Amino acid sequence: MQPRKVARAIGVIAVVAAVVVAAAYAGGLILGAPTQAAAPDAPAYDTNELVAEPIEDDGSITAPADGDSKTVVIDMSHGNGVSENALQPLVDALVAADHEVRMYAGGSMSIGAEPGAAFNETLRSADALVVASPATTYSSNEVAGVEAFADAGGRVLLAAEPPTTTSTTSTVSIPGLTSSGTVTAAGQPTNLAATFGISFGNGYLYDMAENANNFQSVYAGGDDGVANGVENAVLTDATPVTTSGDASSVLTASDVSLSSTRDEASYTVAARNGDVLAVGDTDFLTSSATEGDNDVLLSNVAAFLVTGDKQPGIPASSQSGGQSSGTGTTPVMAT
Amino acid sequence: MTALDGSTRQLTLVLIVVGLLVGVAVAPQAWDRATEPDGTVAVVELHGSITGDSATAVIDDLRDARQNDSIQAVVLDVNSPGGTASASEQLYLAVKRTAGEMPVVASVTGTAASGSYYAAAPADDIYVTPASVVGSIGVRATLPSASIPEGQVVTGPDKVGGSTPDEVRQRVETLRRAFVGSVFAERGDRIELTREEVSHAKVYAGASGVENGLADEIGGVDTAIGAAADDAGLSNYDVVRMEAPQPSVLAQLGLSADTTGDATTEQTFEYRGVDTVQYLMLHGTITTDTARNATEVTANATA
Repeated sequence: MQPRKVARAIGVIAVVAAVVVAAAYAGGLILGAPTQAAAPDAPAYDTNELVAEPIEDDGSITAPADGDSKTVVIDMSHGNGVSENALQPLVDALVAADHEVRMYAGGSMSIGAEPGAAFNETLRSADALVVASPATTYSSNEVAGVEAFADAGGRVLLAAEPPTTTSTTSTVSIPGLTSSGTVTAAGQPTNLAATFGISFGNGYLYDMAENANNFQSVYAGGDDGVANGVENAVLTDATPVTTSGDASSVLTASDVSLSSTRDEASYTVAARNGDVLAVGDTDFLTSSATEGDNDVLLSNVAAFLVTGDKQPGIPASSQSGGQSSGTGTTPVMAT
Repeated sequence: MTALDGSTRQLTLVLIVVGLLVGVAVAPQAWDRATEPDGTVAVVELHGSITGDSATAVIDDLRDARQNDSIQAVVLDVNSPGGTASASEQLYLAVKRTAGEMPVVASVTGTAASGSYYAAAPADDIYVTPASVVGSIGVRATLPSASIPEGQVVTGPDKVGGSTPDEVRQRVETLRRAFVGSVFAERGDRIELTREEVSHAKVYAGASGVENGLADEIGGVDTAIGAAADDAGLSNYDVVRMEAPQPSVLAQLGLSADTTGDATTEQTFEYRGVDTVQYLMLHGTITTDTARNATEVTANATA
């Protein structure tokens, strides 16, 4: 075949092919796949209120240093749900103000000593007692000791959480050999508080509308005393405090609901009866000590603990009965 | 003349016969044309826990439905307790996009709780039965471990946990606002509850759901298909089902090597061997080592 004819044939094929491809492309552009609709707008995703603001967390806790040096005993002997480390904000403030802080971890056992003898002996030289979230009940001897302690001007702080368990009671009670009682409402010093006309609630407080980034973190405020300057304390997993007789409310959470009843009301979260202060929350002592107005609240509580005027030697040894060979306290040193 | 007349008549007869034959040959196609469906309703399954993978399958199904010209309406067949927060949000956006292009009706064949309700929220209508469940509009997260494990080197204080517990709470609150806000953006005109009441994260049985506006109508999946076809103007339609990915046969029989009985939350949502903070939109009780105590506390406190 002649080269010219071959070239011409190839040329014709190329032109026809190009025309077909061009037609397909143009057809595709005109008739082809429908364009994707615009992405849907999600109006809830781009409002300014979407991102939760962090809660102010920069407070500092102080304790008054101008009076006498006081001794504050923190009870750790009843399976308390807070550790020495967790209580560091309060302990640091007290130690920095030259007060003495002792951790009471339980006295050593001795034959014939009544339960609670070592506990009461520890109170004898103390000015204030902190009881936070105990897992076991206080024996009648211990309750009597704390009552005498408070009557003599000793300051007592009772802090509680909503009860955790009521089911398992492991009682191995050999008189004279054990200082632990039965497990009741773990997290609450029920019988101790009852002595002072105070009881703790059986659920947690929540607020669906106005809260510190979680419905269980409610705001509480008060006017004077321990609540002086406290407008927005952040209480997480708090339980209401019910008062009777001489006890009066000092700190209130308004428009919150109680988990067990779902009733919305104003609930007392801290109450004071003379030298006894009961607070339905332990987190303000520990992890959330510097959130919101908690620093003001905790500073006031520290001042409450060290501004009492307690007579020495009470509870008297007759109230403790028997003898113990050690007090089991550990002084906390400033570091 | 007569001979000519006769041949014309014969020719006419032949032409009539030929026309008849051609007509008979073409008639079935005309019949088919007349009786062929106007379009197709796609039933997209959203079954089981929502994970990244299962959400991707549903999102692909929805995209197929949008791109297939014959599919003119979608029924979302929902039976899921929810799952991870991010996958649930992806589903929400995919369903919302589909609902912007064609009628989408959700049929709750079991549970549309938490993340799966999030996915169903943009549907034009939500069909329930008295026993099916809607709601649980809320978010949960596991808290990160605070300490750096021994024997590891990390480059920053948050490398292990990813964030502090307070930051996790903030993020959960942010996700709750997005979730509740989205539900109200889609159905705010129908919901009879306040935002606070919705945030309680209750689940409602179908009948109460219709009453409080979290659902629209009582009806089964066929009613939902009919409603979707109506919305799309289809009187004569096909139905295709786009199935959720099935777990392996071995797992269904409980014979798989790693799953003994029910899969735990860890097995479903966590990366194998790595414990990360999980943000979940999941209905039901979960058991993790850190959450177990907290769950018991709540159970006792409300008991």
